Amino acid sequence: MLKSKIFVKKTRAGGVMKIVREHYLRDDIWCGSEVCAECKQESAELQRDACIESNLCTYPHYVIPDTNVVLHQIDVLEDPVIRNVIILQTVLQEVRHRSAPVYKRLKDIIHEKEKHFYTFTNEHHRETFIEREPGESANDRNDRAIRVAAKWYCQHLKTSESDADGLKVVLLTNDQGNKQKAEESGLLVYRCEEYIKSLIGNPELVDRLALSNDDKNEITSSKLLFPEHLPLSKIQAGIKSGSFLQGTFRASRDNYLEATVFIQGDGEESTEILLQGLQNLNRAVYQDVVAVQLLPRDQWVAPSSVVLQDEGAAKDDNEEEEDEEEKALRISAAEAARKPTGKVVGIIKRNWRPFCGMLNASHIKESTRHLFTPADRRIPRIRIETRQASTLAGQRIMVAIDGWPKHSRYPNGHFVRSLGSAGEKDTEQEVLLLEHDVPHQAFSQAVLSFLPEMPWAITPEEMARREDLRSLTVCSVDPPGCTDIDDALHCRELDNGNVEVGVHIADVTHFLRPGNALDKEAANRGTTVYLCGKRIDMVPELLSSNLCSLRSNVERLAFSCIWEMNHKAEILKTRFTKSVINSKASLTYAEAQMRIDDTTMKDDTTNSLRALNKLAKILKRYRIEKGALTLSSLEVRFHMDSETHDPIDLQTKELMETNSMVEEFMLLANISVAQKIYDEFPDCAMLRKHPAPPLSNYDILLKAAKSKDVEIHTDSAKALADSLDMARVEGFPYFNTLLRILATRCMMQAVYFCSGMDTDFHHYGLASPIYTHFTSPIRRYADIIVHRLLAVAIGADKTYPDLMDKQKQSALSNNLNYRHKMSQYAQRASVAFHTQLFFKSRGILNEEGFVLFVRKNAIIVLIPKFGLEGTVFFDTKDKAAPHLVFDEDGPTLKVEQHTFSIFDRVKVTISLDASNIQHQKIRMSLIEPVIAGVSVPAPEVEPLAKKPKLDR
Amino acid sequence: MATVQVSEAEKVYILHGIRDDLRVDGRGCEDYRHMEIETDVVSNTDGSAKVTLGHTAVLVGIKADIGKPRPMVPNEGYLEFFVDCSANATPEFEGRGGEELGTELSNTLYKVFNNKHSVDLKGLCISAGEHCWVLYVDVLLLQCDGNLYDAISVAIKAALFNTKIPRVHISADEEGGKEIELSDDPYDCMRLNVENVPCIVTLCKVGHRHVVDATLQEKACSVASLIISVTHKGTVTCTRKVGGGSLDPESIFEMTKAGKRVGKALHAPLMKLLQQEESLGKTRQKVGFLG
Repeated sequence: MLKSKIFVKKTRAGGVMKIVREHYLRDDIWCGSEVCAECKQESAELQRDACIESNLCTYPHYVIPDTNVVLHQIDVLEDPVIRNVIILQTVLQEVRHRSAPVYKRLKDIIHEKEKHFYTFTNEHHRETFIEREPGESANDRNDRAIRVAAKWYCQHLKTSESDADGLKVVLLTNDQGNKQKAEESGLLVYRCEEYIKSLIGNPELVDRLALSNDDKNEITSSKLLFPEHLPLSKIQAGIKSGSFLQGTFRASRDNYLEATVFIQGDGEESTEILLQGLQNLNRAVYQDVVAVQLLPRDQWVAPSSVVLQDEGAAKDDNEEEEDEEEKALRISAAEAARKPTGKVVGIIKRNWRPFCGMLNASHIKESTRHLFTPADRRIPRIRIETRQASTLAGQRIMVAIDGWPKHSRYPNGHFVRSLGSAGEKDTEQEVLLLEHDVPHQAFSQAVLSFLPEMPWAITPEEMARREDLRSLTVCSVDPPGCTDIDDALHCRELDNGNVEVGVHIADVTHFLRPGNALDKEAANRGTTVYLCGKRIDMVPELLSSNLCSLRSNVERLAFSCIWEMNHKAEILKTRFTKSVINSKASLTYAEAQMRIDDTTMKDDTTNSLRALNKLAKILKRYRIEKGALTLSSLEVRFHMDSETHDPIDLQTKELMETNSMVEEFMLLANISVAQKIYDEFPDCAMLRKHPAPPLSNYDILLKAAKSKDVEIHTDSAKALADSLDMARVEGFPYFNTLLRILATRCMMQAVYFCSGMDTDFHHYGLASPIYTHFTSPIRRYADIIVHRLLAVAIGADKTYPDLMDKQKQSALSNNLNYRHKMSQYAQRASVAFHTQLFFKSRGILNEEGFVLFVRKNAIIVLIPKFGLEGTVFFDTKDKAAPHLVFDEDGPTLKVEQHTFSIFDRVKVTISLDASNIQHQKIRMSLIEPVIAGVSVPAPEVEPLAKKPKLDR
Repeated sequence: MATVQVSEAEKVYILHGIRDDLRVDGRGCEDYRHMEIETDVVSNTDGSAKVTLGHTAVLVGIKADIGKPRPMVPNEGYLEFFVDCSANATPEFEGRGGEELGTELSNTLYKVFNNKHSVDLKGLCISAGEHCWVLYVDVLLLQCDGNLYDAISVAIKAALFNTKIPRVHISADEEGGKEIELSDDPYDCMRLNVENVPCIVTLCKVGHRHVVDATLQEKACSVASLIISVTHKGTVTCTRKVGGGSLDPESIFEMTKAGKRVGKALHAPLMKLLQQEESLGKTRQKVGFLG
């Protein structure tokens, strides 16, 4: 049956368009219930004995939530207790329009087999489709559609019931009017709260209920604390006319009464507007998109340097105190220091996500309302309602914000879930993954369904399509404990005297077909995240550690890049091919190094390693001659206890010749591939660039070098590399490394981009005109795209529309860049956390270090032994500050009589500061040089003998 | 335009019949052939109507769009006409064959309908000098069997009656910027008052008499024809002589009088019919093009 849906739409040009869509109704849409004998469904999603024990509904029943229930109570719906739910298409569509994240979560639930959620396409069902009536709003129509569908289910289940076990349908809605109308038509209907509270044996679900606005027990007095937000239409008009500005709200980390709004201007012009005071912040939360209005110039203020943290009990009553704090901000600032100041007039888009943090239990024992302090200091404290405060205290929990009424000092939220006790390793790991937005849930069933079936073997057809390289002596060299081996190498002499060098990369794209759930999940994850002792995979483990991993002595699919070179490492021929390889050995860097060094070993693998090593050295020399930078950052490795997984010792990573050997060939492969795909697809090649840093970035490096009378040239990468090589100071062997560490800090971030969207392709650090990532498809999604492009270029695979769409590619590279950045932050945070654990177990240590930076009130010290960086503050809150003189040109800092400058050798004592359980940190205090009133006496260090060093 | 070959004997037969007020198909001189009207036939227009008159069939679709008012009349909307002579109607229209007729028809229609006495143009104004509704009237000739003007004018009147223009609100902010807002209710729309919309009556002079709604054969015998647009009150808003041949003042006067009479009689049943169809609402069985 054909119906048409008609609606009018405004076009961008200001015209009005009438749109007519054909809408087909069908009578072969099944109800999805096991009891139904009428519907000819293949598999029924909804169970026969749909029992959720409830006081209200003692009979088996299915639940139909309305849109608002899904939107607000998705946390509850996700709970494994809630099963047998019918999601109507009407609801699904509305959710999709109103909130993308909730929609995704809902889709995930529906895919989960154990949840027994069923999507009923009521909009296309002949008996449940309704047309909008005159005078009915879109919302009313949808509510009616939900009621009609619920009614249909009621009758349908009743008629198809042969054994009559009283299966019923329960409609959940929080809308009073809807509820009333549903009751009138004889439906079973409950408010969501009513229903959840009636569930027997699951009291914790009640805490997850989001607070709805029309809750009777309003939390605070009716006194208005904040000005009203303007409606969206007014905001848009204001932005159009220029009286308001749109930007991203960035709360200050140090001062809860201060924030900036970052306004993205045309091109490079971006400005920041300062906001000060609760009233002006007007309930905006970090990362919200807001509309701000500039204040008149005479009310502009300067950013304060005061550190203010929102502390103390819930202070709705004592606002006087607050006012004082605000007054403390208004220090009269010099005219020049004043910045454009504004106030938030409306919120354009909230960017709330569930926040990690801890509960501050209320002082009143019986109280169910508590404040929650997020781990991120830029997020305000959130008021939640819970009955399990005593159990939650001391745990890391997640809380979602539900709303921020204008008469409440804090936003209202609800408890989502507990992550575990604070300070525990698993909990902290979870927190840092969540805070860095790293998708780390187990892969969903939908994703796993695209994995190849085990046992897996290469089919003869596949074999015929590929080049058989199984006979070659291929081997892989990786760090110890690596299970996702994505590259392997070979090298052999050719009859004509040249050598053939092959880089073989795991052929992940063979398993990861474009567009399926597995591919989409990998594209979203973007990268594998390596934490200390844990790996968050981009593709499921079956692929990453088995089928794609180029382990030794098994046949694996590979994508090979094969060069013919002469002995001067000049490339004579390059070719790319899909292949099958059989690696002869998986070595660690150390093992490979040993084989090369051991002159008695004469086997094929060792010989090819030696040849590779020889070529790599030549390649490296070429590269450095061209101006590639050798930078340095200290990477640490923890020695973990094999049982408790606690760090026992920590060591800076050691680099061997074989590291650089593998790296050299990977770089070569990446460059060759980049050139190939760019030649083939100038508009949509995914490349990686590293922009040259602006000269001003080098200021700190130049100043630092100058203090030791060393000249650094920054005109070009080559000049920089050369002058860094020359920079040596007598009797200070570590100076060069320090300088390289500083130089690394001056660099820009390397980013992925789509070649059709940019013109500057240069990779500054590698001194290569073009570069991409090809060699790690198991752990980076960019490589997957590059593999696909290359496969198309050599005619080994088909193309697909998204691959050739430069807009989509560009959006994808943005996500990859974001994920990459976040994974690095997460990695750093993980190292920091393990460092803390380490120092917790080691107690107090005295170590020697170097001053890396000099700040106004502190010096930053690097301990080379641990690769650890820490700040030594000279002004502490409770102590009178010593006399400090900061000289920006040096930069030097004079503390009382002693002057600190960069590269000074100091001695510090390191300990763990656990005073704030959410933000534990490493504290460093000065021991040497001794400055009266500043340095501390060297504390007793526990004898090391007590802790035997365990080497693995 | 479609022509038929008529022999001398046939001509005489037709002429003599008309002289005695008895036409070949049995009608009197001032009778129309059987007429069928259906509105709301094209769903993606704002108003549409299909009219068949004898074997003549025309389809009219009206699209409303927002445009800028004409500078001379800043507070009025306007209509635009386009007549498509499809080769479906007659093979002569193939290629650019129908272009001349199309232009002639649309020019005439523009004269007849685009004035404030026929259509409430002021009602089409959204904000004076800035925005107004423009009604694009598209006429499609499906089949030609004489008397195109009358069929088209009836179809236009029916389509205008059927037209539903989405209601818009002008929201002004404090800076004076104006924003057009659409109502999100598809039923919330504006209807046009078609009371004063005229119908065209074509009179063909055959011998010493004139006939209404001439068939192609009668047309072949006629010396000249006159189109008269008449409102429901009998006011003549436009007369025009079309085709070759000449008319003496005496017969023009007579023909105008007859046109007025016929036109007045045409309006009342037309309006009744349209209202009846409208009142059926959604229960109406649509006939469309296959019925």
